[in-house]
Amino acid sequence: MAPKMNGIGVQVENTRICVVMVGLPARGKSYIAQKAQRYLKWLSIPAATFNVGNYRRNDSPHPSADFFDTKNAEGERKRRAAAEAAVKDMLKWFDGGGVVGILDATNSTKERRKWVLDWLTKEGVEVIFVESKCDDEELIMANIRDVKTTSPDYKGQDPEEAAQDFRNRIRNYEKVYKTINADGDENDLTYLKIMNVGKQVIINRIRDYLQSRVVYYLMNLHIRPRSVWLSRHGESLLNLEGRIGGDAGLSYRGDEYARKLPELVLESVGSDRPLTVWTSTLKRTIATARHLPKHYNQLQWKALDELDAGVCDGMTYQEISDMYPEDFQARDEDKYNYRYRGGESYRDVVIRLEPIIMELERSEDILIISHQAVIRCIYAYFMQKTQEESPWVPVPLHTLMKLTPRAYGTEVQTYKANIKAVSTWRGKGSTAKHEDPRPDGGV
Amino acid sequence: MADDGSTAEIAANAPRYRRKSSTFIDGIHDVPDDQGNMAPAQLYSTMSGRLFHSGRIAIVMVGLPARGKTHICVSMARYLQWLGVKTRIFHLGDYRRATVGEGGHVPQDYFYPNASPASVMLRQKILKKCREDIYGWLNHENGQVAIYDAVNPTASGRRALAKEFAKHDVQTLFLESFVDDEDILKENARNVKISSPDFHGMDPDEAAERYLKRIQTKIPVFETMQEEELNYVKMINAGQAFFYNNVSFNYLSHRIVFYLTNLHIKSRTTYFVRAGTAGDEDSYKADAPLSEEGRAFAVKMTETLIRHREAERQSVIDRGGADVPLRPLSVWTSTRLRTIQTGEPLNELGYKVRQRSQMSQINPGVCEKLSERAIRNLYPEEIEKHELDPYHHRYPRAESYHDLAVRLEPIILELEREQNDLLIIAHESVLRVLYSYLMHCSTRDIPKLKFPRDEIIEIIPAAYQNEAKRIHIPGLDPRLVPSSPEDIRILVPGSPIGAGQLSPIPGPSSPGPGDVVEFIVTRPPEKVVNKAKEMVADKVADED
Repeated sequence: MAPKMNGIGVQVENTRICVVMVGLPARGKSYIAQKAQRYLKWLSIPAATFNVGNYRRNDSPHPSADFFDTKNAEGERKRRAAAEAAVKDMLKWFDGGGVVGILDATNSTKERRKWVLDWLTKEGVEVIFVESKCDDEELIMANIRDVKTTSPDYKGQDPEEAAQDFRNRIRNYEKVYKTINADGDENDLTYLKIMNVGKQVIINRIRDYLQSRVVYYLMNLHIRPRSVWLSRHGESLLNLEGRIGGDAGLSYRGDEYARKLPELVLESVGSDRPLTVWTSTLKRTIATARHLPKHYNQLQWKALDELDAGVCDGMTYQEISDMYPEDFQARDEDKYNYRYRGGESYRDVVIRLEPIIMELERSEDILIISHQAVIRCIYAYFMQKTQEESPWVPVPLHTLMKLTPRAYGTEVQTYKANIKAVSTWRGKGSTAKHEDPRPDGGV
Repeated sequence: MADDGSTAEIAANAPRYRRKSSTFIDGIHDVPDDQGNMAPAQLYSTMSGRLFHSGRIAIVMVGLPARGKTHICVSMARYLQWLGVKTRIFHLGDYRRATVGEGGHVPQDYFYPNASPASVMLRQKILKKCREDIYGWLNHENGQVAIYDAVNPTASGRRALAKEFAKHDVQTLFLESFVDDEDILKENARNVKISSPDFHGMDPDEAAERYLKRIQTKIPVFETMQEEELNYVKMINAGQAFFYNNVSFNYLSHRIVFYLTNLHIKSRTTYFVRAGTAGDEDSYKADAPLSEEGRAFAVKMTETLIRHREAERQSVIDRGGADVPLRPLSVWTSTRLRTIQTGEPLNELGYKVRQRSQMSQINPGVCEKLSERAIRNLYPEEIEKHELDPYHHRYPRAESYHDLAVRLEPIILELEREQNDLLIIAHESVLRVLYSYLMHCSTRDIPKLKFPRDEIIEIIPAAYQNEAKRIHIPGLDPRLVPSSPEDIRILVPGSPIGAGQLSPIPGPSSPGPGDVVEFIVTRPPEKVVNKAKEMVADKVADED
């Protein structure tokens, strides 16, 4: 029987990996777990997170700090039961074809780690521990403030009280916390230890390729607060004619957007801290970035160029439908996988964007000025859009998007420039030159 | 001292320029002459020629001899060049040899912290020349990553080096190979240094031990890296663990660490072989099973391989080597039926066969099942484009070799990770790309490489340079040998299909379709002329 495969060609072949998070609360564990899951899914590798806290919450929705005291037998029993339930569900999920399961809990003692390792090894699952260790008090406090406002535990509670409770909760964990291999007797574990947000990293006993790939990605992550801004280029001359691709300059209104962009960015950033600007190598994105402040560093990436439409480059949808009717239909049927003759598919774009995503993860505030299909792929990464949805997401011209990754998901804010532009969105089956996006995204 | 060390003499002996080798010699140490030629898996190009917005980087090796540094350097350079990053290795030992001349030796106190003024002078002269070459290459030849292969034993020396590179606007990443596992040390000493005349006729274990002792007396001071302010990666016991200290890592540094987590320093062999032929009905989409001839091929190939491996082992024993069992053999096939079935006789013998979906052949797109004439008639303008750049051009709906190389990247990393000997049964297009990674061929040559069906190609890794061997499979029906009918008609400028293509390895080539040949031909395994062994021998007395 042929083994399963997926888009980027990581062959899964019976590999089942459990990423077991380790670390005190407010060290960015959930954040890391959620990022890893999103990255893997974006690359078409089945991944899911099992948050032990969520299982515990079913039992005790709003526990006080005492609950987390190791001397509290009732609390201890309930937390253990929650961990068991999470692992059981994960095993069930593996049987249904899961590849990378992430166990999101503190796993802060040697005993707990051994318990997880023994159980999963017995089930034929490879275990890799991922620890985030941080002593920087300022970072921890920033993280608590972030978590406190977004954690389901503190829904509807007074923020100050919540913060105080959280500090106490952490103290209970600190009493028993032991970092991986602190005593030198966990040398056989496969683990990744990230210290002080990546300042130092230890990688121990990586056993296969997929593990090395996950480790590689996690090494690029950081938990410093930051945002990513996305914008398409200003309206181009080809946009006006409803033609795709090409390397045209900006229309009059597109130029107006370029001139307004600095103001829009300033409003969104809220201070004059500089952003790094990434554009494609095409005229229309470079022209869109040209009025941004001089102290913004600008870089051009070939990988940010628009999806290559091959033989259809420079054509209208009507022309494509007339000249290549089969292609036009094939593309609507599976837009993610459809590759233009001599050109690219969305899947191809995702593969070439991987270095961009890596670089994006390790950078701080970045403004990306690129093209419709490329922005869709980047947006799909941050918002966990499926392959069916992502190629149809409306990304209007003359609009700035601000994405802020948080522990429990990504926040989006949009800023309209209020400069008219044509719509380049196209619904399934349509050959209209310009069409307004439908609220359902056309799927 | 063999010479007066005049600059002219050093320049004449400097190892800067190596000749361009052919496709059957590992080209990893070649100096590329074609600046515009893109690397096999390069995703994009930039005006400056530098990739990943990483600027210029010096990767400075740290570690005592017999820690596998040269192997790490060469492998890393191979991978980076594959990605299109212009990388060159500067072995300080080459400069030292060039300076002291043939047969010369450095003074006894050369590596001592309290060396005599004369030794210090000599050391600095050698260092200066090597660094001048590094700057020259980074500044004037568009280089991006210079790998500086030397012991670099002291913290103060490393700090000074990083400062100096920073002054030249070059970022420094230290890479230490730290080994405290006795077994690995001995194994390394045995593998690399054993052929030295100094240890001739000695018991290998004893020779290894003596060699390690000699290092200790020659280089008495070595400080493992702990410098908090420097960027460094410490590879512990050949990749069992990594520690890295990150001051200002960029994407490229992470990518290097990613590669290193898949690298090991154990020696093992890779074999390449084509799949047997399928029935007439085969096409890219049909995925037909093997024909009767194809099944016969699979059996003969299996016999040949097993016989060859046993003979190799015997010859090691005959030369006085240890009577060790053969390394286990793993088999990888694609998910195409033909390759899976070619691996079946091996599977029945108990060898582990894995199917790798990424290894399926190049997608022929609209060219599927078209004759050359038909392609010329239907797509004249595509033919024109293809002839300009056969590596990057893709026919409508087809994959280019470049697409294939990018798709094969995970396989390449797993290839590095594999510890067993490995037989890869795949389509010729896949073999071309994998071969070109291991033997460092240029993108101009890759589409032209030819793998006759009656040969198993063996690639033996060596620290400095890989070597290739061709093993003839005797007794095949000559009709089996030419390219398979389902092969994509990728046209090569100036060469009609199926003829005049380049065999990766010279020697008696397989018969063409029209040739009259004896039905049964037996040829002994043939080793490719190759300088690898001599080059290693040359480095035997090398103390860095």
